[in-house]
Amino acid sequence: MDAYFYIILVVGLLSSIICAAAGILKKAPNDTTMLSVAAVELALLVYLVGSIVRVASGERIAGESWEFWGYLATALILPIGAVYWSILERTRWSNFVLAAVGVTALVMAARMNQIWY
Amino acid sequence: MEEAENVNAKSSQDGASTPAGSASGITGAADARQAAAGSAETAPAETGRAVTGAAPTAPATDTRNTGPGRLLIAVYAVFAISATARAGYQILTKFSEAPLAYLLSAFAAAVYVVATVSLAKPGRTAFKVSVAAVLVELVGVLVVGALSVFDSVNFPHETVWSLFGRGYGFIPLLLPVLGLIWLYRRRPAPRQH
Repeated sequence: MDAYFYIILVVGLLSSIICAAAGILKKAPNDTTMLSVAAVELALLVYLVGSIVRVASGERIAGESWEFWGYLATALILPIGAVYWSILERTRWSNFVLAAVGVTALVMAARMNQIWY
Repeated sequence: MEEAENVNAKSSQDGASTPAGSASGITGAADARQAAAGSAETAPAETGRAVTGAAPTAPATDTRNTGPGRLLIAVYAVFAISATARAGYQILTKFSEAPLAYLLSAFAAAVYVVATVSLAKPGRTAFKVSVAAVLVELVGVLVVGALSVFDSVNFPHETVWSLFGRGYGFIPLLLPVLGLIWLYRRRPAPRQH
């Protein structure tokens, strides 16, 4: 597990906790929950840029490289899809949709780390 | 039903701030909301109120893409994507190793895709398709889960449903149960003769 994973672990967990708490408190998605999901997206973008730099500088992915990039690309789409899905109907349930993003991103980041090393 | 009221209250408040993207109208309510927001600006307030008051009740009785259903659909969508990717990867790279397990993977992926799409659609047909897909999913996860436990020699290869979905935090086992509860709670009203 590398620093990229731990960044996504912390940001993803925080985002999920914030969004789930907002959902439990019967709040509709607001700036706080949306921005926490945006932070997850940002963490994933940092992972993307970092990975491109590492591959460009000659580092090798131990596992299937296209599997790694597939995971990363899917993970990057996830927050955008969730935010879109949640603003179509702004109820407390949409916050639970947003809460699912952080946890999913963290699981995917763990898998990406396994593929890389 | 508490959720449905909540939705209507929210949509009339937020109508103006809804982005243009929602005009594509996954729900009928989104269209009505858009229309209501538009007419409230141009026409007298009564027109807007009439539209908001009448429209949501019609589709709300036969949709499952609202309230907790949205979370359910989102989780189904994630499983549809991951199961499809996994099955595609298995079939393209190592199909000959275990054709049965990987065809099962592909079948599971197809079930998740059908469930996601039919849950998101309003109407009686979509409801029936959803029930069928979720039932198949429940039977699949139970049968494949049991086979992978009791006959691990013939089912050593991983699918989404192996070991009752343990590789996915047992969500594959929980999902069809929650799906059936939600479908029952949002079942269409008996046909009027």
